[in-house]
Amino acid sequence: MTQPVTFLGRAEALIGTHEADAVDSGARNFLDLRAKSVEELPALEDLRDRARAIRLHALRHLDRLLAHFADQMQAAGGHVHWAEDAADARQIAADILDRTQSRRVVKSKSMVSEEIELNAHLEALGLDVTETDLGEFIAQLAGDTPSHIIAPVLHMTREDIGRLFADKLGVPYTDDPFELNRIARAHLREVFLRADAGISGVNTAVADSGSIVLVTNEGNGRLITTAPRVHIALMGMERIVSRWEDAAVVLETLARSATGQRLSVYTNVITGPRREQDPDGPEEVHVIVVDNGRSRILAGETAEILACIRCGACLNACPVFRTAGGHAYGSVYSGPFGSIVTPGLHGMDPWWDLPFASTLCGACEEVCPVRIQIPKMLLQLRQQAASEGRLPGWLQAGIARYARITVDPSRWARAKKWASRLSGLISTGRWIRRMPGPARGWTSSRDLPRPAKESFNDWWRANRGS
Amino acid sequence: MDRDSFLTRVGRASLTSQLPDSVSLSVDLPELPPADLLVLFRSRSQTVSAVVHGPVTRHGVPRAVSGIATGHDASSFMAWDDLPAPGVPSALQAVGMDRVDHVVPSERRIEHNLGYRDVGVGVTGAEAALAESGSVVLAHGEGRPRMASLVPDVHIALVELDRLERTLAHWARKNPTLVTETTNLVLITGPSRTGDIEQQLNLGVHGPRHVHIVMIK
Repeated sequence: MTQPVTFLGRAEALIGTHEADAVDSGARNFLDLRAKSVEELPALEDLRDRARAIRLHALRHLDRLLAHFADQMQAAGGHVHWAEDAADARQIAADILDRTQSRRVVKSKSMVSEEIELNAHLEALGLDVTETDLGEFIAQLAGDTPSHIIAPVLHMTREDIGRLFADKLGVPYTDDPFELNRIARAHLREVFLRADAGISGVNTAVADSGSIVLVTNEGNGRLITTAPRVHIALMGMERIVSRWEDAAVVLETLARSATGQRLSVYTNVITGPRREQDPDGPEEVHVIVVDNGRSRILAGETAEILACIRCGACLNACPVFRTAGGHAYGSVYSGPFGSIVTPGLHGMDPWWDLPFASTLCGACEEVCPVRIQIPKMLLQLRQQAASEGRLPGWLQAGIARYARITVDPSRWARAKKWASRLSGLISTGRWIRRMPGPARGWTSSRDLPRPAKESFNDWWRANRGS
Repeated sequence: MDRDSFLTRVGRASLTSQLPDSVSLSVDLPELPPADLLVLFRSRSQTVSAVVHGPVTRHGVPRAVSGIATGHDASSFMAWDDLPAPGVPSALQAVGMDRVDHVVPSERRIEHNLGYRDVGVGVTGAEAALAESGSVVLAHGEGRPRMASLVPDVHIALVELDRLERTLAHWARKNPTLVTETTNLVLITGPSRTGDIEQQLNLGVHGPRHVHIVMIK
């Protein structure tokens, strides 16, 4: 990979580009829609409390809920598989496709399938894999990765997409979104109807009924679970609630937080394969429950992040995400929640710097529909990175020195005097625009107000003190 | 990995898990200001671009449905076998539309699927309608193809007035077991939509472009 290995490296390549601007305006739009949709809800805070309680309850009893879910799904004729890691999950999916002689595979959006890099694996086996969510389809055609979990090609313009369709689908160039949509519909309709198997994610499973729930706006999630003979669902092991009533609360919260909708267009509840009397539906339903690092997260300090319902609100609210865009995170899971999930799933190496890609302003926690304490966990991960000695030497030494100064009033007073004097040398007017040495990075994207000549304490002593 | 080792590992992780405490699960439904359900349903459907018709009497349904279908120039249709009002399929055939077979054979499945390419209209009967979100609930099963609300350009859902509920949570409370009784339950809130290209709203990306809901007295 030629991609820079640090968040800062990737972000610097993106800041100020069209991509970052498009992500910013898109995220703001989602944020407005969310705000409008929550305003009309008198019981919003109550709904958030419920959603949080439901998710935390599920995490506390996860093994029991998963066992119950599996029993119920099997009783309904479905199959449940258990994948320890990504390789395991890929193998299970490939085996099912092989046994059912499935060559043509259609997919609806699944973060887990991207996490385990399923497409590349299946394509290497000679299978024909098509993403069917419009945004994901465009990203797949372009050989690109999604830049936002709710709107995958937020970073592309209509002209980009027009050229891509002309080039890859052999249609005349158009940049009219309505026409582009029509072209994609006609192309994908054929692909859906001819597919042998459909692969989806799972928004939430319901333990009591043994159901999986899939939410889409386009209808592709329904088509790929209805037209083909085989349906395979990839499920992160934490995506589960106890009862159907709990799922109802989570689904309402999800739609409002993600796109400001009262409910998504299609909420699809699947409980096993087609039964004898059913006129249509898949003959086989397989659910692959994926761990891939989740039990490690569950065992530790950041377990709460597993309560996340993947609505994307924290991305939209985050000033760092809006400035740099999703690709800067270098991971399938971007933004504030991604900065906790990614090092949790894949380890601190090389992901230790993601928790630092935050201003800790708290906007993420404020919008989170399940009130996840994201800033607190980002700090915990920063602490962990520091205690593992991952920070650059100058930073570690600088912070240590800063700490020594701040705990001693006389050292602090001396340091302030020096800072005031030195700042006179490097400031322009009232602002410090460039700091020397390793501190330069801090001023590369921000200005620092010049410290006053006289501190407040000195002024107080001189004018008001007794 | 086998089920037992997987679940044992999850159980062991839970033991050291540092999950925060949370308020206990509240069992009451959310408090909402009183509203006329039909008025609310109509206005909420409108915001998601679905059109609500009626209420019409049970024997007025076939005419209402064929009126909508001819307005969209459809030449073929799919219909559930047990619609809440009789006479709809014959009314559509009477205006010259062909009925598409909806029972998928276990052999030659793809050939059958290709017959769905150009279906004009699908008619279904809703289990419930949700006023707060403008949604209809479809419970699939015998004689009730999933494809009828999915492949046609126009979806017409028939709903009896007394099946209106306030929210999904209210309905879920009244019907805790329906999800286990049917293999596939779907909530539909307006026509298929996407905003994936420059966040411009586009209807009918994969599913129906038009959703009509006919209320029955």
